[in-house]
Amino acid sequence: MKALEVTQATKRFGGLVAVNDVSLSVNQGEIFSVIGPNGAGKTTFFNLLTGIYPPDEGRILLFGKDVTGLPPDRIAKEGVGRTFQNIRLFGAMTVLENLLVGMHIHIHVPYFHAVFRTPLARREEKRAEEEAKRLLEYVSLLHRKDELAKNLPYGEQRKLEIARALALKPRLLLLDEPAAGMNPKETEELQAFIQKLRDELGITIVLIEHDMRLVMRISDRIAVLEYGSKIAEGSPEEVRTNPRVIEAYLGKGAAGGAA
Amino acid sequence: MNALSSLLSLAYLGLAFLAPSPVSHLFGLAALGVTAFLRLSPTWRTLSLALLTLAFTVGLMRSGNTLGLIGLVGILVALTTLPRIPTGIRVLLALAILLLSVPLAGFANTFVFELGIQIGIYAAMALGLNVVVGMAGLLDLGYAAFFAVGAYTWAIFGSEQAKNFLQGNFPLPGEYMYLFMGIAIVTTALTGLLIGLPALRLRGDYLAIVTLGLGEVVRILANNLDHPINFTNGPQGITPVQRPPIDWFRQLMATLGVHLDRTTDYQLFFYFLVLLMIGLVVLVNVNLANSRFGRAWVAIREDEVAARSMGIPLLPTKLLAFMTGAAFSGVMGVIFAAQRTFVSPESFTLLASITILGMVILGGMGSIPGAILGAAALTILNLDVLKTFSEFVRISLPQIPNQVDPAKYERLVFGLILVLMMIFRPEGLIPEKRHRAEMEEA
Repeated sequence: MKALEVTQATKRFGGLVAVNDVSLSVNQGEIFSVIGPNGAGKTTFFNLLTGIYPPDEGRILLFGKDVTGLPPDRIAKEGVGRTFQNIRLFGAMTVLENLLVGMHIHIHVPYFHAVFRTPLARREEKRAEEEAKRLLEYVSLLHRKDELAKNLPYGEQRKLEIARALALKPRLLLLDEPAAGMNPKETEELQAFIQKLRDELGITIVLIEHDMRLVMRISDRIAVLEYGSKIAEGSPEEVRTNPRVIEAYLGKGAAGGAA
Repeated sequence: MNALSSLLSLAYLGLAFLAPSPVSHLFGLAALGVTAFLRLSPTWRTLSLALLTLAFTVGLMRSGNTLGLIGLVGILVALTTLPRIPTGIRVLLALAILLLSVPLAGFANTFVFELGIQIGIYAAMALGLNVVVGMAGLLDLGYAAFFAVGAYTWAIFGSEQAKNFLQGNFPLPGEYMYLFMGIAIVTTALTGLLIGLPALRLRGDYLAIVTLGLGEVVRILANNLDHPINFTNGPQGITPVQRPPIDWFRQLMATLGVHLDRTTDYQLFFYFLVLLMIGLVVLVNVNLANSRFGRAWVAIREDEVAARSMGIPLLPTKLLAFMTGAAFSGVMGVIFAAQRTFVSPESFTLLASITILGMVILGGMGSIPGAILGAAALTILNLDVLKTFSEFVRISLPQIPNQVDPAKYERLVFGLILVLMMIFRPEGLIPEKRHRAEMEEA
């Protein structure tokens, strides 16, 4: 069973075809990258996967289950966590609260128990808090737990966003440009961290990334989008030498020059 | 400086006892200002606050001037906001003010009870609206509709009104009011569902306009449902509405050595009932704020897309906030109907909704003490300060034409206060930490 299977997905905004007939599949436990020039439709593609937009055509299967057209909250419940290209933390909530929001679907407190804060509610809240703290320790942000998320430095905000997605206990994690704005050393740490997630927690990871060094080193397979269409797919080596890809990035004629 | 504040407080205590007058109460308010705003050591400040509590109580008992009530509200605010006062003393003083000072003042001037009850009812509603607007960020301009549904729920069955369409022994006896507080939770929550289902699909300004419209629909229904079957008795309203029997309360008070007369017994009873309700409402508010529901509401307010990606369903979560807020309002509606023994559509106008929203904004969105303070400030302003001021003007300047009577400019003053607030303290009088953070960002 594939972790993710997209068949002929298409999304149009008026006359613009943002995602055009894209099919791809991601194996379980794989680190899979989606790359492409600016405006190639990568983020829209993510938004299709997470249900923010329903696809106009095509089907999306998550772990064998058809989730086409489901709303984002239902897809999250299927075990899909994500981060955003421009960090979208709950800035005015504390670091710990951000994680607790991430754990929303795993905190089982019926409404009336919450209203009266019954022993059951207390117990669940305490358990959730412990778990959130453990997760914060895992990403070494525990010392920041009571700070407002917006007061964190940029790098830690990125980390917190990943931690919040992990709080969902995802089977599939979608990272939208996780290395954006990071220096080489931070990027290296990020690479180790992502690999650790896959190796220790067994999470399948799909990422959009512009940092080619990171992409080439970390990915098992890569798909390349241009103008909404998939123009190549394969191992880092295959993609690197694919003339269509070189043309997309460097322009016509460059492929010949590089060969 | 430390001694000065206590000296002033002591001086006011003397004045309040010997020469209680508006002027001496103003002096007391000044002393309170000194105590609250100057740099004082915690011990001296606590001492001054205790002295002032005593002094305002004495002043109220001896003159019944409601300026003293403003002083007491001020002390309550000081107790909740000032740092480094021992928690035990905070609680003790606050309880003394609510359970002793206000009732004592009420015996001297029953208008204090009336004010206290009104403040309480509006405070509980402001806390309900606080869930909707403050936590979940849903701008609801039709909140008074739920108050109306709650009030009519009891008014119809607690008076002869129900005979018009039901066989049975109406009015129901007054004890049923307690049951109807529960029933009102259900009816208002269902109304919330009914209004929320179409309205909550919209956002921001659109939501505000639609709730405004649907709120008016409820009021107009109340106005016109006197035919073909007379449900609401139309614009004349319903009266008399039953009140619960309070013999047990009279006896309880008598054993405590307090003998109540016919005018104050119900006032005192409703005052305590409202106080109890506020306690409950605050408790529920705090519980919800620290639960997954409260966090989900805040998350939706902060970023809908991110919240949904965390598995939070949008419409059900918003509906839950809407229904919770509605239920608070509904319960207070029942109490309102019973306390007034009279219900008419006039009490549930758009202006009522906006006033409650004003209380939440004035106090500080999302802040629990803020909502209560906002309710106290606007209620006292509407019912007391402006009326007193216009009486003062009428007596001292009789030649002034009727048209410029300050009481007529209530809304102007209200609007002016809100405008000044938005300019100088947009986060509200007692801001919640989250909203303060958001305001700093903007």
